[in-house]
Amino acid sequence: MKRKRYDSMAIAFIAPAFILYTLFIIVPTLSSFYYSFTSWDGISPNIHMIGLANYREIFTSARFGNALKNTIILTVFISVLENAFALALALLVDHIRWGKNVFRACFYIPVLISGIVSGFIWKIMYNYNFGAINSILKSIGAGNLKQDWLGNTKYTLLMVGIVLIWKCAGYYMIIYLAALQSVPTELIEAAEIDGASPWQRFRKITMPLISGAFTINFTLSLIGGLKVFDQISVMTDGGPGFASETIVYLLYKVGFNEGRQGFGTAVGVVLLFIILILNAFQQKFLKSREVQM
Amino acid sequence: MERAKKRAKPADFIILAVTLILALFFVFPIFFALISAFKSNGDILKAPAALPTSFYTKNFRDLFAQSDFGTAILHSILLTVISEVLIVCVVPMAAYAIERRPGKLSAFVYTFFLAGMMIPFHLYMFPLFKEMKIFHIFGTMTGPIVCYVSGSVAFGTLLYSSFLKGIPMEIEEAAEIDGCNMFRTFWDVTFPLLKPCTGSMIILNGLGIWNDYLMPYLALPGDKAKTITVEIAGFVGQYSARWDIVFAGTIISIVPALIIFFSFQKYFVKGITAGAAKG
Repeated sequence: MKRKRYDSMAIAFIAPAFILYTLFIIVPTLSSFYYSFTSWDGISPNIHMIGLANYREIFTSARFGNALKNTIILTVFISVLENAFALALALLVDHIRWGKNVFRACFYIPVLISGIVSGFIWKIMYNYNFGAINSILKSIGAGNLKQDWLGNTKYTLLMVGIVLIWKCAGYYMIIYLAALQSVPTELIEAAEIDGASPWQRFRKITMPLISGAFTINFTLSLIGGLKVFDQISVMTDGGPGFASETIVYLLYKVGFNEGRQGFGTAVGVVLLFIILILNAFQQKFLKSREVQM
Repeated sequence: MERAKKRAKPADFIILAVTLILALFFVFPIFFALISAFKSNGDILKAPAALPTSFYTKNFRDLFAQSDFGTAILHSILLTVISEVLIVCVVPMAAYAIERRPGKLSAFVYTFFLAGMMIPFHLYMFPLFKEMKIFHIFGTMTGPIVCYVSGSVAFGTLLYSSFLKGIPMEIEEAAEIDGCNMFRTFWDVTFPLLKPCTGSMIILNGLGIWNDYLMPYLALPGDKAKTITVEIAGFVGQYSARWDIVFAGTIISIVPALIIFFSFQKYFVKGITAGAAKG
């Protein structure tokens, strides 16, 4: 059957999605580039152009430098551990003899709950006097390890990171699991007959064949790490001091608490460029390592 | 199958033990929230890991007495359900036209939509709220709903397009020869075949909307309760000494998500893997 020309019906099919998407995603995105050159406070109708002043402030202020450092620490910490956990969980669930579906569900449950709820539950567990973690430490005779987990600026960021690893590992596990299940069993069996050890089989056959899942998971977890908001909001509010203030949290605070939305959108533009660079990196470097079946 | 026939090896028991320990780590916080919701504040503080001794429901009664939690529940349900209905009306049709009427325009719209997956909400939220004020939908339920539908276009198009590639066009062509127009063909013939994809889409989006915090917190009217998630976040500051009440709220937030998950588990798995395969 010959291809139809683009007809008015097809345009009518696309129009609602196109209009909504353009109006409520693209227009605000493009206008945020404009606002990033202004000193807009978010309320007043007068908007003044101030050129590159916001960007100059971003790259010179100690507060942004601190937020950038926190964001990098948090993002790297959770991306590495989320993937390590997710791959381990996927391998375990793939090889376990009993209760496969039950365990898979257990690991997936934290994915279902909201960022706010997960932050609250862990905040209580981290509590110095009444939290489950300190009381477990005490009951196993390791009371001297008791800590004010969120109050100690050395640990705050990592403690928030643990909540995210706990919450997101199950999501990436699902992707690894699908990749593992697509590895042809004949290949593994052939290697087994040839005398390859389990480690060799994993390293030489499974790993190259699941590297596509690795690429996507690593990119998703990096971008997810950059966007962490809910847990910080409910657990630390960026504190103590600025110890857990990330780029996204800085953006929110200057925009809504300090009435500097022009500066906030400039921070957002920087965030977008970081995400675009990460994506380009994924396309270029990680993809070239993948093995196509 | 073959593995199941073999006798259990020591390695199987080691795998089981390791998995069990990890599963405890993953489930414990949820279990902790669940038992705490049925314990008095004193019991939560004294013995955090102990099971509740009786079916204690005072936390839930206090929750509804001291806050407008009923309104919050209603708002969460309305936002989720109305957005979902609109998403299903809007997104699959767009993906269908893109897939089945290939051409320069379709290719452009597809790329244009997918670019949205990279744009972080935090980048455009300030101008978005200003725009919502211009349209007079800021501070109404319509505001977040419109934004959720718009926000679902990128991922939804990706999901539906990849799914549509696997559906043979012959049936649609037969329907069109029988005189169905594109609208009838899509809704009567193709859409029912997209059921698994629609299931994944509804569930993944629904979870995101149900659990969302920032949008309803900032864009719903300030004079009454907003959504379950927003109320819980508010309690954490306000009733910092009444953990029992907050735990009761968290249970109301978690339980519907768990029920939906256990009823439609396969759609979750399909949606995540289909999105990842293409993204």
